[in-house]
Amino acid sequence: MGTETTLVSEAPCEITLENFLEFPEGRKVLSCIQCGLCAGTCPYGDVMDYPPRRIIAMLRAGMLEKVFHSESLLNCVACYACMAKCPRDIRLTEVLLPLVKEEIFVHLPEVPPELQKALQNTLRYGNPMGESPRKRVAWTKTTDVPIPILGEMSRPVDVLWFVECYTSYHPRGQDNSRALAKIFNGLGIDFAILGNEEKCAGECARLVGEAGLFGTLQDYTMTLFRRYEGRFNRIVTSGAHAYDAFRYQYPALGFDYQVDHTMPFLFQHLEQLKPMLSRKLNYRVTYHDACCLGRHNGFYEEPRALLTAIPGVKLVEMTHNRINSICCGGGGGGMWLDTYYKAKGYERLSERRVKEAVATGADVLAISCPYEVSRFEDAAKVLGYDNKLVVRDISELLAEAMQS
Amino acid sequence: MQEPSERGSRASRVGVFVCHCGTNIAGTVDVCRLVEYAGTLPGVALAREYKYMCSDPGQELIQQEIREHGLDRVVVAACSPCLHEKTFRTATAKGGLNAYHFQMVNIREHDSWVHEDKDAALEKAKDLVRAAVRRVRLHQALETKRASINPDVLVVGGGIAGIHAALTLANAGKHVYLVEREPTIGGHMAKFDKTFPTLDCAACILTPKMTAVKAHPNITLWTLSEVTRVEGYVGNYQVNVTRKPRYVLEDLCVGCLECIEACVYQQAKVLDEFNLGLGKRKPIYIPFPQAVPLLVVIDPETCIEFKSHKCKKTCVEICGERNAIDFEQQDRTETIEVGTIILGTGFKVFDARRIPYYGYGTYPNVYTSLELERLVNASGPTGGEVVLRDGRTPKSVGIIHCVGSRDAHTNRYCSRVCCMYSLKLAHLIKEKTEADVYNFYIDMRTPGKGFEEFYNRVAEEGLKLVRGKVADVYPEGNGDGRLVLQVEDTLLGMVRKVPVDMVVLSVGLEAQADAQEVRRMFNITCAGEGFFLERHPKLAPVNTFTDGIFLAGCCQSPKDIPDTVAQAGAAAAEALALIDAGSIEMEPNTAYVLEEVCSGCKTCIPMCPYSAISFLEDKKKAEINEVLCKGCGTCVAACPSGSIRQNLFEDEEIFEEIEGVLTYA
Repeated sequence: MGTETTLVSEAPCEITLENFLEFPEGRKVLSCIQCGLCAGTCPYGDVMDYPPRRIIAMLRAGMLEKVFHSESLLNCVACYACMAKCPRDIRLTEVLLPLVKEEIFVHLPEVPPELQKALQNTLRYGNPMGESPRKRVAWTKTTDVPIPILGEMSRPVDVLWFVECYTSYHPRGQDNSRALAKIFNGLGIDFAILGNEEKCAGECARLVGEAGLFGTLQDYTMTLFRRYEGRFNRIVTSGAHAYDAFRYQYPALGFDYQVDHTMPFLFQHLEQLKPMLSRKLNYRVTYHDACCLGRHNGFYEEPRALLTAIPGVKLVEMTHNRINSICCGGGGGGMWLDTYYKAKGYERLSERRVKEAVATGADVLAISCPYEVSRFEDAAKVLGYDNKLVVRDISELLAEAMQS
Repeated sequence: MQEPSERGSRASRVGVFVCHCGTNIAGTVDVCRLVEYAGTLPGVALAREYKYMCSDPGQELIQQEIREHGLDRVVVAACSPCLHEKTFRTATAKGGLNAYHFQMVNIREHDSWVHEDKDAALEKAKDLVRAAVRRVRLHQALETKRASINPDVLVVGGGIAGIHAALTLANAGKHVYLVEREPTIGGHMAKFDKTFPTLDCAACILTPKMTAVKAHPNITLWTLSEVTRVEGYVGNYQVNVTRKPRYVLEDLCVGCLECIEACVYQQAKVLDEFNLGLGKRKPIYIPFPQAVPLLVVIDPETCIEFKSHKCKKTCVEICGERNAIDFEQQDRTETIEVGTIILGTGFKVFDARRIPYYGYGTYPNVYTSLELERLVNASGPTGGEVVLRDGRTPKSVGIIHCVGSRDAHTNRYCSRVCCMYSLKLAHLIKEKTEADVYNFYIDMRTPGKGFEEFYNRVAEEGLKLVRGKVADVYPEGNGDGRLVLQVEDTLLGMVRKVPVDMVVLSVGLEAQADAQEVRRMFNITCAGEGFFLERHPKLAPVNTFTDGIFLAGCCQSPKDIPDTVAQAGAAAAEALALIDAGSIEMEPNTAYVLEEVCSGCKTCIPMCPYSAISFLEDKKKAEINEVLCKGCGTCVAACPSGSIRQNLFEDEEIFEEIEGVLTYA
């Protein structure tokens, strides 16, 4: 932990709502043309009192205080739709909205209990579901292939696999991890995981506006990386949110590892993977673009290329795809606000998405972000589509197509 | 040409004149201290400042001081030489010196406008002035030469810009070559139905001008032709024009169109380019009824004779003795000589597929505005009926403004014409279908004569105006084919989902796909967004940085028909000014070869962008044609033996200048 203080003091001056206009990404709000594209594309735009456009207008008029007393941004699922389409390229989801959200939470009389619990769990146990940190590696006992743990090894490895929370603890998330282990093994990837030392990368805490919690998790994980300095070459994670945090937030603390999400990572190995995909899967598959992966990082075609490499798979597109994809509703804390949304009478986005998936006639809804499996399976069940549509991570499909 | 060794010693009576340019310079650079400093420099006889050196009294001051103080060199520290070098050279010459015994220092664009620290700006100005003084003391007297101007003009592009420029010049008695890539002239304007704000029919005002081009004795019209090579310089350009085969002989075809009727294709089956694929044509066709020249053209891609050589050739049969069809026609290249060139190469419309969330190319009932122009046009594929692809008349239409404009992800600029044409289309659609028409706009931009009045008129017709940029277009769930436009109505502060039968995307204007190649061929410049760059945005809007080449219309920036015509007239006037002057003064800053040092290695020859260097076989030396040389200096830098030198950029002068700017004073 010796390096911790240096890390903090080296961090550049943090952007806040007070010094917002001193930063280039902050000054961009001055160029807003109030076109409303952000509100129009927002999946909850029709129920927000202060969609991004109005927040900018209030900010410019010096009336932002008023926004702090509304609950409006609790509907922001940090899906990057507004930012991806903004004609002035204003860093809404990245910069402005988390800052405003933070203030909103400060002024909120009561944080929705489900969310509060998740945040407390993350602080206390390093995962939002409140599972024991000692059981983080439990899933590795259920795999057919050995899962090396970096701390227990003396030699360095090529890839540090950052597993993340849902893929460690949630039964369906574990399916994803088991599938990945099989694929990595098949590809001959030299990898290891952090094991019980790993904690949540913190991205959602940041996008909920919990900058403090995010900072704590970030410091913890950076210290861990520092401890294993030279013991791995790069990081691969199936957590779309973790990938995003590593790529955009961690570099401010000196993080300079090459980091890949599993989708682009496996895409790089596609030619090697193809001959291994020998089992024909006669599925009609539709793919849900994960927000962090697609809109924020532009990986639209890689997951599709992996799917269509599987023999027998027929890929069909939902009405809203790629940049226009509709969020599963899990980002920015939405994962733990379902009860709140329900109480307010809002449609759950995962249900909106599952309806679109069913309309394509697909029998598999393919995903690439660990939040989605439980959200979509739950939505399919609620809507009575659970016998029509199964939800599978692309890694699961790839592993299934590999003859064991 | 003198040998460096023979050159005279340094001049010793330099006059330095510093301009305030109002507060443009004096607001940042302490002009008085600069003058004080300049007066101390070796060889400086006098230093003066004046509020506006370019004004008449300012110029008079220079002349007077030359005479009174016997100055032998002049330095003016002011703005960019692009603006006033000529002014001060003239003043120097009027004062009795050689015009090139002068050096200009740019302390505005290079100093006061780009620096905030006043002390540092003054130091920089001192450095620049010191460098210029040291350099000017070595300047040699140079003589300007004159080049004659060929009175013939090349106009590239047969849209309304090219047509208007060509007619203006031809009416002034000049011979014009009008070169058009397509089979007909008329450009985009020929595709429009009505024109804003007066709603006069585009064809009614355009076709008389097209016909006049065809009939004009001073215009040589070449369609299906492209410029493929440009050489020479202002007044004397040699241009190659490649004329693609029409497979119909222009002087024999009478435009009876019987061959089209007779084509073995009973039905038109090929997507018709002129109607943007909304209609069909045969392999032998005319683009549209008022095409000029009214000559049929054969498309070798789809004509059976070209594919199989086994066609019955009913077209040839019906043409009979006129014998106008020639399947053997090949590319021909014509070489012409012209003195001036006007580029009116137009624009391309934004490809709406680049914004996937508007569904163009995915949903058949999403159209571009240009496609709508064809649909409302009586000569269009539906005879002027606004109908959907399945033949139904739309009951509601949504027009989305700013598609591919004002957007960091596509084009940042405003395309200037879309608000007005969107209002016009709204009016025409309403008139023809009585549909509910929604216009989704960000800002309604109607700056032009009669434009705001037109906006008012269309609004009063019951147009549904929604202020907001549409975020999403998707099919209504119930399968009736209607499309939902999801948008925040920013004036109501609520998200609306508006179902419509037809979506029209008001696509912006972009530079032509081959603008970069054209730019290189004509040796002109493109601005960041790809349009050709004018020499000065306000004061030389139709000139380019290459003398004798002018711009007209949308190749320079998006603009409407009135502005295009005005610019085309201006470009014609600029060409006429050159032609009627008869000759042009050439800069004497040309390169020359020191014959005795030249080893004849020929390194310089392929380097010259103006083909000004030739090889003298008898002497085995390089020779530079002074008239062709533009003084770019490439050969000077490339010559391995240092045997090429350049007037006004002699090695001694440049070294002296460098030493001057680097010497810490």
